[in-house]
Amino acid sequence: MFTRVLIANRGEIAVRVIRACRERGLGTVAVYSDADARAKHTLLADQAVRIGGAAPTDSYLSIAAVMEASRQTGADALHPGYGFLSENPALAGACADRGIVFIGPGAQALEAMGSKIAARALAVRAGVPVVPGHTPSDQSDSAIAAAAQSVGFPVLLKPSEGGGGIGMKAVYTAEDLAPAIAQARREAIAAFGDGTLYIERLIERPRHVEIQVLADQQGHVVHLFERECSVQRRHQKIVEESPSPVVTSRLRQRMGAAAVALATAASYLNAGTVEFLVDGEGDDAAFYFLEMNTRLQVEHPVTEQVTGVDLVHAQLAIAAGEPLPWSQTDLAQRGHAIEARVYAEDPAHGDLPQAGPILLYREPSMPGVRIDSGVVEGDVVSVHYDPMLAKVIATGSSREVARQRLVQALTGFPILGIRTNIAFLIQLLNHPRFVAGEIDTGWLDREGDQIRAAAASEPDALVQEIAAAARGASRVDTAVNTPDPWERLQGVRV
Amino acid sequence: MSEGGSAATQLEALGNGRFAVRVAERGRVAYAVTYGSDTWVWVDGNAYIVSTKGTDERVVRGRTDDMAMAAPMPATVRAISVSTGQTVTTGDVLIVLEAMKMELAIKAPRDGIVRAVHCALGELVQPGLPLVELD
Repeated sequence: MFTRVLIANRGEIAVRVIRACRERGLGTVAVYSDADARAKHTLLADQAVRIGGAAPTDSYLSIAAVMEASRQTGADALHPGYGFLSENPALAGACADRGIVFIGPGAQALEAMGSKIAARALAVRAGVPVVPGHTPSDQSDSAIAAAAQSVGFPVLLKPSEGGGGIGMKAVYTAEDLAPAIAQARREAIAAFGDGTLYIERLIERPRHVEIQVLADQQGHVVHLFERECSVQRRHQKIVEESPSPVVTSRLRQRMGAAAVALATAASYLNAGTVEFLVDGEGDDAAFYFLEMNTRLQVEHPVTEQVTGVDLVHAQLAIAAGEPLPWSQTDLAQRGHAIEARVYAEDPAHGDLPQAGPILLYREPSMPGVRIDSGVVEGDVVSVHYDPMLAKVIATGSSREVARQRLVQALTGFPILGIRTNIAFLIQLLNHPRFVAGEIDTGWLDREGDQIRAAAASEPDALVQEIAAAARGASRVDTAVNTPDPWERLQGVRV
Repeated sequence: MSEGGSAATQLEALGNGRFAVRVAERGRVAYAVTYGSDTWVWVDGNAYIVSTKGTDERVVRGRTDDMAMAAPMPATVRAISVSTGQTVTTGDVLIVLEAMKMELAIKAPRDGIVRAVHCALGELVQPGLPLVELD
């Protein structure tokens, strides 16, 4: 058992985990970088420890700093969140060495699943179908080119150590290979410190469907059905839902069984996600193992909304040695949930991440809408971290109800001072293809620019009038009605 | 609180950045906040920036060639694919930056000849300054 959990992360996921710990009567320790001294997660935890400078390598990516914070505070468990060190076997190992409970799988499973090569071999042994491809042991340009030829174009180049779509490049012809190899290798080294590339056959117009699994220390493994994550921009998910509009009950059963078989073969522990590419539709659609994410996923709330299972609570219970309270047949999907990721980025200019002050930020509050966020009004979005501000999750009795709710929630979620993708998300959710559920992982890369163009609107006369009124009103308002967080910002008038 | 607007539009400042807006029969709540010379406005799920910079109050921030060739944020220069005197065509990748775990390509906004390159490999560049100049 454990009583005090250090959350080795920041932003919305740190907030989410701190709340779950508190709900279970556990003490919480936040860690923060210099950029996050007054961040939401830092202020929420019982204790907060500064672990270094703003650059992730100086703080959230430093195992030494995180372990020192747990020593100082006497934390006897560690939740890694997602990203940062969450899938780093060295952190899980360091915890094991110091008798700290790592809330996740063991270092061995992290290692096996962290390497695409090992994960794929394990999937093959577990009888789970895989996409044709391999990692050449000779990583020269010519050997990679030869591997691409043998796998067959189009191919996808991926960092062997990677995740999150970083450094992945689709290549359609042999002529385009050389620059793509150089770029993928550069991004792989920058992001993961390892330029080893993996080459696989690109399945055209696939769907990305993943299965959530939970495994306890007693050896029980269950799945919590699928999440459809085909709405991706350059391999990064931005809208996710459960159930998938195309997965039939028979296909769900086949994919769920495959995910459980893989987790069992890996002697997997705690929460994980098995990602698949689905090719085709109907009961007999083909699906291929992509990778297993050995942590909580960004999009975990849609599963929570339709299954009624709190995945962070489940993680904490499993780590504490409790057996899963349900068997597979006890679990069911009910209704429909859709999540949209709100990013500080500029859709009008290539989705460039934005940094700057959040002058105004008002989360909507309405039935069937959940918001997981890591920022508050008055925060400054830093250049150092992922620019996701919040996740908006809408739940309804049907996909259409959930979709309408999500549009309403986003329309009523004013964020000013920094550009966001909200107008783009609204346009996307109202697009006939999304409404019909006819989406594949390449959809946004093909049609996203039209959606971006439709979302861009110029200030009309009404906007000009409101702006003029705001400038006029500011003299009155600042004197009487300046909320606290804004006092941190210079030059702001409301 | 101030009231105003054109004949067709009724506006009321509610405080705390909120504005009651009524156009013809339709009412809604808008949000606006002023920061320096920019006023940010939120209406119906869209955010706008109205800038008072320049001569015309109604001019919204545009995007010039120079802005197109500047880093949008502090970023590290990962690759420089052009040199002085080189002819480039619209869309050519000039510089590759890295920020927030993403690679960002700075592309030529128009055809031209490279007059100067204002950054070095590995350099941390600041936003707003053009990294490449075109003739």
